[in-house]
Amino acid sequence: MTDEQKTRAVSVERSSREARRARFDAQVLPHLDAAYRFARWLARSPADADDLVQEAMLRAFRGFDGLRGGDVKAWLFTIVRNCHLTGIAQRDRRGLVPLPEEGEPQLVCPAPGPESASMRRDEQRSLARLLADLPPEHREVLILREIEELDYREIAAVTEVPIGTVMSRLARARAALKARWSMTSEEERDALR
Amino acid sequence: MPCAETESRLHAYFDGELDALAAAAFEAHLETCAECRAALEGLEAMRSALRAELPNERAPAELAARVTAALDREASAAAAQKQGPEDELMGDPLAALTALAARRRAARAGRPARGQSTPSFGRGLLTGAGGGLLAAVLAFFLISPYVVSPRSALLDDLVNAHVRSLLPSHLVDVESTDRHTVKPWFAGHVDVSPAVYDFADQGYRLLGGRADYFEHQRAAALVYQHGPHVINVFSWEGEGALPADTTRNGYHLAFWKDGNLRYCAVSDTGWSELSKLVSLIRAAEGQESHG
Repeated sequence: MTDEQKTRAVSVERSSREARRARFDAQVLPHLDAAYRFARWLARSPADADDLVQEAMLRAFRGFDGLRGGDVKAWLFTIVRNCHLTGIAQRDRRGLVPLPEEGEPQLVCPAPGPESASMRRDEQRSLARLLADLPPEHREVLILREIEELDYREIAAVTEVPIGTVMSRLARARAALKARWSMTSEEERDALR
Repeated sequence: MPCAETESRLHAYFDGELDALAAAAFEAHLETCAECRAALEGLEAMRSALRAELPNERAPAELAARVTAALDREASAAAAQKQGPEDELMGDPLAALTALAARRRAARAGRPARGQSTPSFGRGLLTGAGGGLLAAVLAFFLISPYVVSPRSALLDDLVNAHVRSLLPSHLVDVESTDRHTVKPWFAGHVDVSPAVYDFADQGYRLLGGRADYFEHQRAAALVYQHGPHVINVFSWEGEGALPADTTRNGYHLAFWKDGNLRYCAVSDTGWSELSKLVSLIRAAEGQESHG
């Protein structure tokens, strides 16, 4: 190869890399907020959510060439969730158990949520708190459907279960949340009496 | 308690997952079944409370900057080392396991991953690791229907205008929940006079209006907030067939027309939630033109 050919090859490669990056910026980056919201429900703390989102965006960028069609958001959520699960598995393998944050009760099942740290006492009965206390698979399916508004097919893809499982899980999750919700409403009524 | 045999259909109906025929059949059932009507109301109440209560968080600006910087580093690292970015995961046994699990899942789904493997997927398998992500991503697309979006400048314009509006301080030119403020503003700033309504009570709060330029005219954009999602309702004058409803870059686009006005609602809400806003607007338009 002559020097001129080499230079040309390098510049072709560079422009294709730049085009790829531009496509990523246009198609995937706009979903950063949604990825962050989802990560906040998965991760233990805002800092963990930041790390999770950054890792997921990098993996998305590496796997971007495999993306087909318009389902970018569900695709990105799949990656965020896989990064989260990989992180948990790695912590488990290393036997690391992060210390609970100071002043917070240690929960058997980590109950994250955008307001877990700073919530006032009376707000702890809120629906968001109840949602955070649900088992992870119930919480996840409710977030994906009611808040992020993914359809059953997308939720099935993100959570890697059949659509039938999505439907039954969603019904159980709604029943569980409703039961807790009406219980707290009754407690509130009792407290007012 | 909903009656037992309809519980699954109740949720599917509530989530907009039934086809028109099944939805009509379920609505007929609702007429006669008080239990299901009450259950549906309960679901609706909880959903509204959830959507109203959960904070509408956006990614912090520092995170956006961190992600961009990481992508820049990644791009220059990939340039320096033409080996391929997946290699850095090599030796991670978990990645290999994930790849295996994803292949099994794909196989169970009845569509062997092998037959549809791509060169990069093949390389991931050859290295025996690092295929984790690629395999997971591929498995995702093996079980998703293959969607091909029609290429069209209008669709690009609409999605780009929506994404642009999400940038800080680009959302609205006139900020108001009052249709009597937004409507006159449009008169001076865009070429069309679209229907302006607020549907805060139904979960779609009017944030304001904006002017956007496409289809060679100053088009109007109405901006609604729905849970954490922004919905842009664009309107412009046009003729001929409307594009079919579609999904592009993760955003749904729903089209309709009213006289010579073309409308398109764009958002990353669910389809059923976007359709609900479209029906609300169309019903309000219908009332106005008849009243």
